Amino acid sequence: MKILTEHEAKKVLSKYGIQVTQGSIAKSADEAFRIASGIGFPVAMKISSPDISHKSDVGGVVLDIKKEDVKAAYSDMISRISKAVPGANIEGVLVQQMAPPGHEVIVGLKKDAQFGHALMFGLGGIFVEIYKDVSFRVTPIDKKEALEMISEIKGSPILKGIRGRKPVDVDAVADVLVSVSEMAQKENIVELDINPLIVGENGAVAVDARAMVEK
Amino acid sequence: MLDSIFYPGSIAVIGASNNEIKWGGRILKNILSAYKGKVYPVNPGETNIQGLNSYHSVLDIPGEVEMALVIVPAKFVLSVAEECGKKDVKGLIVISAGFGETGNNELEKELLSIVRRYGMRMIGPNTLGIVNEPASLNASIIGRLPTPGSISFITQSGSLGLALAEWTINTGIGLCKVISTGNKADVDDVDLIEYLNNDPSTGVIAMYVEGIKRGREFIDAVRRVRKPIVAIKTGRSKRGAKAVFSHTGSIAGSDEVYSAAFRQAGILRVEDIDDLFDAALAFSCQPLPSGNNVAILSNGGGASIVAADECERHGINIVDLTPETREKIKKVIPQFASNSNPIDTAGTVSFEIYDNSIQALHDDPNVDAIIVIYVHTMMFSAMPPAEAVVEMKQKCIKSKSRKPIIACWMGGAGTEEGVEILRSGCIPNYPVPERAVKALSCLIKHSEFLDKVKVGAGQEDKMGRCK
Repeated sequence: MKILTEHEAKKVLSKYGIQVTQGSIAKSADEAFRIASGIGFPVAMKISSPDISHKSDVGGVVLDIKKEDVKAAYSDMISRISKAVPGANIEGVLVQQMAPPGHEVIVGLKKDAQFGHALMFGLGGIFVEIYKDVSFRVTPIDKKEALEMISEIKGSPILKGIRGRKPVDVDAVADVLVSVSEMAQKENIVELDINPLIVGENGAVAVDARAMVEK
Repeated sequence: MLDSIFYPGSIAVIGASNNEIKWGGRILKNILSAYKGKVYPVNPGETNIQGLNSYHSVLDIPGEVEMALVIVPAKFVLSVAEECGKKDVKGLIVISAGFGETGNNELEKELLSIVRRYGMRMIGPNTLGIVNEPASLNASIIGRLPTPGSISFITQSGSLGLALAEWTINTGIGLCKVISTGNKADVDDVDLIEYLNNDPSTGVIAMYVEGIKRGREFIDAVRRVRKPIVAIKTGRSKRGAKAVFSHTGSIAGSDEVYSAAFRQAGILRVEDIDDLFDAALAFSCQPLPSGNNVAILSNGGGASIVAADECERHGINIVDLTPETREKIKKVIPQFASNSNPIDTAGTVSFEIYDNSIQALHDDPNVDAIIVIYVHTMMFSAMPPAEAVVEMKQKCIKSKSRKPIIACWMGGAGTEEGVEILRSGCIPNYPVPERAVKALSCLIKHSEFLDKVKVGAGQEDKMGRCK
């Protein structure tokens, strides 16, 4: 069993055509600045460590960092994490483009002893944590089934546009579901969360991801 | 191949006994009570069992043995199975316990390898046996053969499944087969469902499931089965005890995955034991509706409102009737009664009212299914409206178009004769509107499965359904 860092997990997602927020791992404040300049400001910074999977719980996520704050943000994060999680193996800091506007949804996979893999879809944030408003399928699925999964959840009208808000790109979410279904076996996924996948009027982007794979 | 188990020409009962309190005595007695083929008791300690010659070993039996029931202690099962293989027995039902279910996985593996080596098929071990009504075969500890019917029931649990079968038999619901699967070492759910799909006497499959083996194959196999399958799955997930890695991991308990898998396979998952046989009963004697538009006829407004509420809960549409239909109904019901759906006869009951109203509803092109409710009062007899329903059904069988009719005769004492008319007329009848609606919702859902989930040709058979 191996836990992939966000950066590694996103590489897998990219391989299957899923759009991810761009970024690279910086190992110094100067490198962080170089990467951020390449991406364009503001940026997000996230700690990258195989020992830390819930990054924000330990202060490992900082958003909306302006050009002049990048170097300090890097140093602060390293010292904060060293105190919060002593002995953690820190690979560096993931410097990333900020997520585009849109709705947060979650796409996940879980290996199942009886049926192979279960694929999950739901609205992100509190909807998944509190209301458990999600739908499931056993993989593999096709696009038609992916669209059904999206329609099935109670919160589905939110995605399709209510109260004058424009509908989001449900089709792009369905494509992500099909891609995740496809990678389940090929990548020996034990568990995977794309949380959130941010879906706007045009396209869906994986902003955070975590995965556990079987080696 | 499973025909050797369900329709054997000859049976050896290995571990047969004269003592009817013992399993080997009880099962032999049950077989002898109705089965017409050759039966050979085997027990090295006896010469005569229940009036039959007893044999020392299955190898001593002079004639062919197609199927053998094995009811001996676990430690003797391997040698008995080996002898059955040598005797060219085709099918085994291993009642004996003490295998995988007690952690004795090695013994189960060895048993399976013997079964495979001789090309036999095996139900069990740790099964309570099987019943196959069309073969008059009760190779189980169930008390008696069921009323003939087209429901085949696969049960994984021992005693609960058995109790369900007994209860079903007592309620007079027709059953075709009862199969206690036991540990499913060889014959499992996939084998059984495929077999029952090709079994002309099975019209609907009811399942009591604790766990499925070969999950993905199960989904693929079941998608090819167009006969309705209704299942109750027990064992809610145990999760959330330990910290989990992902949100998905914490939410995707086995129960959620089962629900998804069943829906993908086109299995109707029901919540309660009542629902399982309520749905199976409706499938066993009614055609499938072509849509979800229902008409309700009742002599009591309250009952029809309960039914309409329940319909809404299940996504069933209380359809607007055509003006012609409303006109036809207006002519037969009292002036102050309602001729819009749900039809309320305002307490009045007669054969004519029910007969004409059901006919009008059945002829309405907007209507896909009909729920007929009778609420008993001392003013009327429960029989004439029941006769109207049965007569309508007979007329419909003759005509090409046939829509499902579900009955709900409420009121207990006083309704028995009406209920009996419905039962013998093969109309699914339920004591409360909610159960009638739930059963109908299963018919509608299965219709949808046939369109959207099931693969293969859509030659929708009335096969195995009663007339």
